[in-house]
Parts: sequence; structure tokens; C-alpha cells
Amino acid sequence: MLSWLIKRLLMLVPVFLAVSVVIFSILHFIPGDPIDNLLKVGSSPEARAEMEARYGLDRPLPVQYGLWLGNVVQGDLGTAIVARRPVADLIAQALPHSLRLGGLALLFSTVVGVTLGVVAALNRDRWPDRAIMGGVLVGSTMPSFWLGLILILIFSVSLGWFPVSGARGWNSLVLPVLTIGLGGTALVARITRVSMIEAAGRDFVTLLHAKGLSPLRIQLRHVLRHALIPVVTILALRIGWILGGAVTVEVVFARPGLGTLLIKSLSQHDYPVVQACLLMLAMAVMLGTLLGDILQALMDPRVRAALT
Amino acid sequence: MTFSFRKSLLAASVSLAALISAQAVTAQEAVFVIGTSEVGAPTYNPIKATMLNTATGLLFDRLVSQAADLSYHPWLAESWEEAADGMSWTFKLKQGVTFHNGEPFNAETVKAWLELFKTTEGENTYMAEAIASVEVVDEHTVKFVMSRPEPNLLYNLSSTFMSVVEPKSFAALGDNYGVTEVYGTGPFKLESFAIGQETVLVRNEDYKWGPAVAANAGPAKVERLTFREIPEDSTAFLELKTGGVDFLLSVPADLMGEVQKEANLAVLTMAGQDVWYMPINVTKAPFDDIRVREAAAKAINQEEILASVFGGVGAVADTFLISALPESKVSDSARIKFDPARANALLDEAGWAMGEGGVRMKDGQPLKVTLWTQSDSIFRRLTEVVQAQLKAVGIEAEITTFDSSMIRDQYKTGEQQLAVRSYNWDNADIVDWFFGGDRLGYPNVSMFNDPKAEELRAAAMTGARNMDERVANFTAYHEYVLTQFPMAPIYQPVQAYAYNAERIALPQTINAPTFGPAAFLDLEVKE
Repeated sequence: MLSWLIKRLLMLVPVFLAVSVVIFSILHFIPGDPIDNLLKVGSSPEARAEMEARYGLDRPLPVQYGLWLGNVVQGDLGTAIVARRPVADLIAQALPHSLRLGGLALLFSTVVGVTLGVVAALNRDRWPDRAIMGGVLVGSTMPSFWLGLILILIFSVSLGWFPVSGARGWNSLVLPVLTIGLGGTALVARITRVSMIEAAGRDFVTLLHAKGLSPLRIQLRHVLRHALIPVVTILALRIGWILGGAVTVEVVFARPGLGTLLIKSLSQHDYPVVQACLLMLAMAVMLGTLLGDILQALMDPRVRAALT
Repeated sequence: MTFSFRKSLLAASVSLAALISAQAVTAQEAVFVIGTSEVGAPTYNPIKATMLNTATGLLFDRLVSQAADLSYHPWLAESWEEAADGMSWTFKLKQGVTFHNGEPFNAETVKAWLELFKTTEGENTYMAEAIASVEVVDEHTVKFVMSRPEPNLLYNLSSTFMSVVEPKSFAALGDNYGVTEVYGTGPFKLESFAIGQETVLVRNEDYKWGPAVAANAGPAKVERLTFREIPEDSTAFLELKTGGVDFLLSVPADLMGEVQKEANLAVLTMAGQDVWYMPINVTKAPFDDIRVREAAAKAINQEEILASVFGGVGAVADTFLISALPESKVSDSARIKFDPARANALLDEAGWAMGEGGVRMKDGQPLKVTLWTQSDSIFRRLTEVVQAQLKAVGIEAEITTFDSSMIRDQYKTGEQQLAVRSYNWDNADIVDWFFGGDRLGYPNVSMFNDPKAEELRAAAMTGARNMDERVANFTAYHEYVLTQFPMAPIYQPVQAYAYNAERIALPQTINAPTFGPAAFLDLEVKE
């Protein structure tokens, strides 16, 4: 198990390097640069060259990449060119907001999604199943930008229960969490339902029935446990996705976070900040995948046996 | 069980009490939403920043204030005098003014502040570039010795970028000045600033030196101001509608109707500082022919656009400058106005004969051009109308839309033929910025580089000894540029603000070019 884990961790290194090359180079292929945002009316070409030299933008790309990667590995994310402060400070301000929002959304989609999935599976092909799956289909196809505004219209404008936007207190979290969470709920509910139905057809379930256990007990204790393995994997994979997917939701609700920071820095061409944000999101995806693999190994006796 | 129940009941009543007292306090505060174009301003350091938001104008004062008619009035300077040859200016300063950190404001501070423009790395240093040195005449009198006459000096001194900073803390705080702490002489002090999120200001109780254009010299009537940054216009509007905020410092044209539908909301409009126009790339065929440029420019029906796209709010543009500027008063023949007969005649003369399907042809080639625009919905709508108007004289324009944050970089390629864009500025030197021969691509989207224009430009920018000469030189430069048709003027919007009329009482008149310090000093929150 330990050697498997070490091997799995080592595999992250080439992935990290590949991701870092993409993140670094992608920005340099889009037109424009941050210096345009710093120079004002009447600036001379000399002032421009001086500014480029100050931020190291005059060096060849591979050299810039090497320097950047070296610093990143040592934990130095650099200084924001337009915002003029350490990138680490900006990330430190934004990240807790994103984690809180993403964590709650993930929790919401897990609890609600698994519950709905179980109810649907237990009532397979009857009206509760159809109602839940129908609702889930609508939920998963709604763009979060639009869903967020609709939720604001219903719960803030008409009912006045929650603030429209901002990040003050728990009640400002409800609507953004719902907006992100509902999409995930649909996915979780569908996978729970399918794998419950699939697991219910297995031989061991027939055996349990033969042994005379109550059907509900079989479903909830044995089938569900079996069915949750793919659900956990999907949830772990969604960690990164949720942080990235929060971008539009953060903008609609005017919340601080990685998303708003990324959008703002992108439009100002503030390279170091954009690179750091993308790196955070990529790392979240990588760690989520790793977590999914580990959880799967721990939960599935077959995988566990193969590893030891 | 009973105990914990009682405890939670107690907690609930305590928080209820807190809620009630919090409401009593809110009567003294107001929440503003910063204009979407100012969201994300990273600092309140006026010397270093390229973007400053409205709150900046409340932390600092300036030497000179500007009225709604763009004339100049006293603020921290009580009076001033320019030498006949324009080579020096003498300013009498207000007495009894102090900075937020207790430092006095006097002639020494003005000298030290202007020194900062020479020693600070920043992009606004050009504003003080014509001031060679500053002499302290007495405690409340300073003399600027000029390296050349600069009739535009009062404009620069009235700009937010020339807000008077406290020089000692500016030096001591370095890059933190304007971020963690900031000290000015303004009517409000900085309480907190979270970049991209929120700025909280509290009233400067000692303030009694407001600009001459404000009715109230100070202190301000509202104790506490919160400036929120909401990047999404519709979210900001819903906050206003539900009472979450009191005032929006920008309202896009598409949301004006929604605001007017609400009984508790009101719209305030002030003369605009934007001009919307269609740059024409003079180097790209067929627009290297001045007749085709004039035809395209005169195909634009400004009145129709004002009525159909902007609901009649604002004014048509027929020069490159906002009509409040004296340099916009060019001769009538130089104004660019809708004239379809002239447009058609010019295209015929240039050899573009009307062909099948209403598209003109020459040597077997159709008159097809590209028309660039940016992704904001209002730009797309306007551009579609422009496309239809060009089609009416036989020019087929194909629209290409670029992301608003990327389009400047696209202009640098010089590949554009026509485009629809806007600028925001209230000084005639914007003609130099957008048509100067050394800035081809962007800002000079029209790729206009004309020897006669360059001569007139030099005279306008640095050749004037006084304001009258500057106005005359800029008018001549502006007029010549118009006759070369490197663009078609389209529209002048108003500055639109929306507010909760049940919470906010505005002064009868706001004698300033924008909703700035003068308006904030006079503004009241209804109890």
C-alpha cells in the first residue's frame, strides 16, 4: 500500500511539469501584455523597455519559464505586476473564500445527491424516480450564471431571505452554494441511482435476500455501500472542477475568491497572478484525482487486496 | 436542556438588540457601488496608479476644482496667477488645512509633493512634467517655475491623479501607501480597503476646506461610506432594488428602463465625457481613398442611432470631442453629419457603382469591408445598426467581435478597416492621443499619420503660451483631423447614476463635471 502511494505521488511530478509548461506558455500566446496596462498617456518607448526589463519580460521565454518554475517550487509565486503586491498575499486573501464556497457546495451535492439517488433507485421506474431524474436533468443543464440570477430573483428580490451579493455572514453563502451545488447534485444523484440499480442485480444481493434480510436493510447497508464507490471517485474528481467552476458564480454574486481574482487578472494581463491561480486550480484537480484513487483503494476490498 | 434553551433564547435576544442598534447606525451611512469600469483598482496611490476609483477623490483634495462648465475654481489653492509669458505660476494656499495624520498642509508640503513626481516611479509623472521647480515664497504661497508655458496646468491640477498626498507618510510607506494606509486632506479617511471587494471611508470631522464648487465646505453630512465593487451590472441593479445598496455609480444604457420602473429608485444624469465613434483605417483599401472615407462617415445616421439604440438619452456627436469643450466648436463645414446623397455621390465618383443586391462594385470586386467591435451587448447592438446604415449606401460590412479586454491588442495588428469604439476624456489633448502619428495601431486605431496634422499637433500640444492660444491651436488641429475623415463621430452618452430616493437626498445642483467630492459633501442620508 505504501509503495503504491509513493509511486502514485511520484507520478504527479511529470503531470505537474506538463501542466506548468502549459500554464506558463498559454498566456504568452494570447495577444497583449501587462505593460500596456501600466503605461499611460505620453509614455516613451524607453519607459516601456525599462518596464519590461524590470519585470523580466524582455528575456527569452524558456529563461522566463525556468526562473518562474524555480521560484514556484520554492514557494515564491512572485509579485503581481498590475496589483503591485506579492501574489501569495492575493491568493491567501482569495483562497479561503473559494474553499468555503466549494467545500459547502460539495457537501450539499453529496448529501442531497446521494439521498435523491437512493430514493430514485428504490422507486425505480415509478413516479418518484421519474420526478427526481426529470428534475435532475433540468438542474444539470442550467448554466450556473443564469441559475444564479434566477435564484437571486426568487430568494433575494421576491422573498427577501438572503442578500443579493457579497460575502458577509453565512446567509450570503446560501445562494452561491446552491448555484454551484445543484449542478453537482444532478451528477451525484444519477450515478448513485445507476450504480444502486446495477449493484442490486449482483449475486451477493440475491444471497442476502435468500438469507432472509429485510429488503430495505439490504439496500441501505449492502447495496448502497457498494454503489458509493463510483460516487466517491466522482466527488473527488469534482473538487478541482468546483473551484474552477466557481468563477462565474463568484462574479455574479460579487464574492471574493480565486475566480474573481483570475478574471480580473486575466483582463489586466497580470501574468504572475493568472499563472498562480491556474496553478492552484490545476493542483486542486491533481490532488482531487489522487484523493479519489486513494479512497477507492480503501473502500474497494478487491483493489485493497491487489495492493497489499 | 432547559438551561441551554434559555441560553439560546438569551443569545437570540442579544443578537436582536444588536440588529436594532445596527439599524439605528445605518441611518448615518450609505453604500455605493463603484462603476464597473473602475472595479479592481489596485491602489489609492494617485502618483503611481493608472486607474483610480471614485473613492480616491474623497481621500484627497486637489489645488484646483472644476465646475460643471469645465471652468476652474479654488480648492486647496485660494487663488492663482500666471505670469504674462506663461513661465511661472503663483498659488496662494488655504490656511488651517491638515492631513489625516495631523501633518500641516502648506507651501513646503506642496513643494515636497511635486518633488515626488520627479522621484517616484510611476506613469502619471508627465502631469507635472512642465514644472521645472517649486519655490516657497512664504508659508502659504508657492511659485511654480515652468520649463515651458503649460496652459493645461489647471486641468492637470484638477485631475484626481494630482491629488495632494502627504509626502512624509508617502515616503515612509512605500508601496503600502494607498493600499494599507493612506493620508490626504480629503473629507473622508480610509478605514479599510479590500482590493476588488470593498472600501470603507469614515468622515474627516476636521474638514472645512471643501472645493469652491460645493455648497457645503465641510465636514461631510454622511458619517460613513462603503464602496462595494460588483463586477456584474445586473447583480448591482438587484442590490439597489432590494435595498442592499443605496447608489450605483454607473448604470448601463440597457438597465436604465429597469431602474425607471421602480418607484423607490431614481436616475441622475450628468453631461457625459464619452464619445462613441467609428475609426476608419486610412491605410487600408478602399479607405486609403479619402472619398470612400467621407462616404462611410456620412452614411452614419447619428439621430437614428440616438433614438433607436440609446432611447433618446444623450446627444449626437458630430466632432471628435465632447461638446462641453471649447475646442469642439469647429466650423460648421468641418462637422461630420449624416448626408446619404453626398455619400452616394462620392462613391459613384470614386468608381464604386451600385451593383446587384445593393452592394457597390468596382473592377469586378464588391465593396466589402470588416467592422470590428467588442463583446459588450451595447456595442454589438450599435454595431449592427452601423452595419445596416453602411449597407444603405452600398457598403457591405462584416462584423467581427473581440473580447473587450483583448481588442486593443487586435488593433495593434493594424488589420482593422472600420470599428466601433468609445473613449472617456474631457480634454482636447485626446485628439493627440488617438491621432498622433507615433501611436499607430493603438491608440491610433485609424493609423492616421499626416504631415500637416503633425505640425498642427505640435503647436497644440506644446506651442501655446496661454489658454486662449491653446484653445485656438487645438481647435485648428481638431478641425483639420475631421476634414481628413479618419473616423465618424456617432454619439455622446450622459453619465447615468441610479440611487434609492427613499434613502439618499441629492443637492439641487451638482456643479462638477462628474459625481465626485462636491456631490459627496452635499449628499444627505434621509433618517
